[in-house]
Amino acid sequence: MSFGAGVGIGMFVAMLLLMALRIPIAAAMFIPGAVGYILMADATVLINLLKGSAVARLTVYDLSVIPLFLLMGQFATQGGLSRELFRAAAAFVGHIRGGLAMASILSAGAFGAVCGSSVATSATITQVAYPEMKAHGYHGRLSTATLAAGGTLGILIPPSVPLVVYAILTEQNIAKLFAAALIPGLLAVLGYLVVIAVYTRIRKDFASKSEPLPWSKRFRFLGGVWPIMTIFVLVFGGIYGGIFSPTEGAGIGAILTFLAGFAKRELTLAKMRLALVGTAETSAMVFMIFLGADMMNTTLALTELPAYVASWVTGLDVSPVLIVTSVLLLYIALGCVMDELSMLLLTIPVIFPAIMGLDLYGLPADHKAIWFGILVLMTVGIGLIAPPIGLNVYVVNNLAPDVPMIETYKGVFPFLIWDGLRVILLLIFPGISLMLVRMMN
Amino acid sequence: MNILRLIAMTSAVIGSLVALAVGIMTTTSVIGRAWFLSPIQGDVELTQMGIGLAISLCLPWCQYRGANILIDFFTQKFSTALQRRLDAVGALFLAAMYGLLSWRTAEGAVGVKAAFEGTMILDLPMWWAYASLAPGLALAGLIALAQAYRLFHGAAAIPEQESLTL
Repeated sequence: MSFGAGVGIGMFVAMLLLMALRIPIAAAMFIPGAVGYILMADATVLINLLKGSAVARLTVYDLSVIPLFLLMGQFATQGGLSRELFRAAAAFVGHIRGGLAMASILSAGAFGAVCGSSVATSATITQVAYPEMKAHGYHGRLSTATLAAGGTLGILIPPSVPLVVYAILTEQNIAKLFAAALIPGLLAVLGYLVVIAVYTRIRKDFASKSEPLPWSKRFRFLGGVWPIMTIFVLVFGGIYGGIFSPTEGAGIGAILTFLAGFAKRELTLAKMRLALVGTAETSAMVFMIFLGADMMNTTLALTELPAYVASWVTGLDVSPVLIVTSVLLLYIALGCVMDELSMLLLTIPVIFPAIMGLDLYGLPADHKAIWFGILVLMTVGIGLIAPPIGLNVYVVNNLAPDVPMIETYKGVFPFLIWDGLRVILLLIFPGISLMLVRMMN
Repeated sequence: MNILRLIAMTSAVIGSLVALAVGIMTTTSVIGRAWFLSPIQGDVELTQMGIGLAISLCLPWCQYRGANILIDFFTQKFSTALQRRLDAVGALFLAAMYGLLSWRTAEGAVGVKAAFEGTMILDLPMWWAYASLAPGLALAGLIALAQAYRLFHGAAAIPEQESLTL
């Protein structure tokens, strides 16, 4: 083994140890990366390199979409747009058995269309939907699990912060990745609805039925949905159609969502402040992980470890799809203890070149990259609700403290089955994600 | 801590408002391009500089709130005292990272200024981008140090009643 590979592995081990000991992930990547760099080159070179590293990461045009999309999600949250969504969905499906859970999924999906974060989506929809489900006697296991699973739609349906991060890391077209995520995202919504229908048929005691609303009333509630739908169509129509860049689209989306919340008189000065500091917290957190991962990856490239892994993987005498499958299984395992962004930033620079070296259904390079990105995104979604630490489960249980967390994990299981099936489907039929991408060309 | 909290929050609000201003600028630019065939000159450069400034102003608040992600799965069973010791080390590591980046970026600003580098279209001085990042990084580092001090002495990173309200 070369000196470089030894340093590379040493850094990785040090990083994992630090992470396990509660050192914030950004620093757990940055410090071993910096030490490794000194070993590979020397301290003066590092000191010189660091002059430009903050500027190189914080002033990237494509990354500007992250704070702008986060701003849009925060305005949608604080502007009370989620309440209308849930009310409209409940007006149409609320009366059937499990209907309020279905309405939660539908409104989470719609909210996901203006929000790129799963945590924000879970929290927002839980606040409006959980009290309703509780009042109608829905079992805590069903309602909290639905909300945790529904929260993943925040990232599965574009915009999506992890997908932007993937696009930056792999130098892929963000608009195409968003397009590729759309059909799998809608499939997720449909499947979750089926899961709830089957679940509540088996456990009739979990959810009640109620009187259907007259159609005139239903359509009146539907009126509350148009702001969010208009924003989605404008922003993504423009991005998909190539009229403006994703960054411009995110900027327009943030302004429109602000105006929608303002027009509803929901965005008071106090809520405005909450939206601003909320955006600040998450944006800074994302960029800190980027800065840490940059240091780590710069040094890793020096050690030539990624190239070594890539040549090792492509030299393996096993079916390429099997390799992709094992990578996805690795992601599920990592997702059990790690958050999605650090996981992507840590593994993609090492794993992506290896995947690109494989022949997968004869796909051209960019389609292969897009397809793999959507696969990774869906796997990340699994990590958000799967035990032992599903971030979304934490968020929902925080807001629904009367339901024990173990109940939520039990309830999440049927949703996880659909998640797993969906990954397998996409693994076998890349066309599910590439259909829209091919139409864009 | 109170004064640090106030500064960090003010900085975060300004940071997000800068991002909002970038949003207004891009929207205007897109409208101008579509209807009047004249986008705002140098909109890409303005976005880059604006978002860089925005993020750096957001960093202190993120640090104050302890929003930097960490894995607590393996240390759940540890005593609070031990967890705080570990968090103190974590805060020191972060402080080192902020400090290093802030110092080097400031140095970078000096070098770039001497070289008279400008952006492509508007010829904005490149050193602005560097100089706008250093203060936010430095303030975040200062907050991390203050938190490390509290944590080493067995206190929570920020006064507990503060973590409940915003």
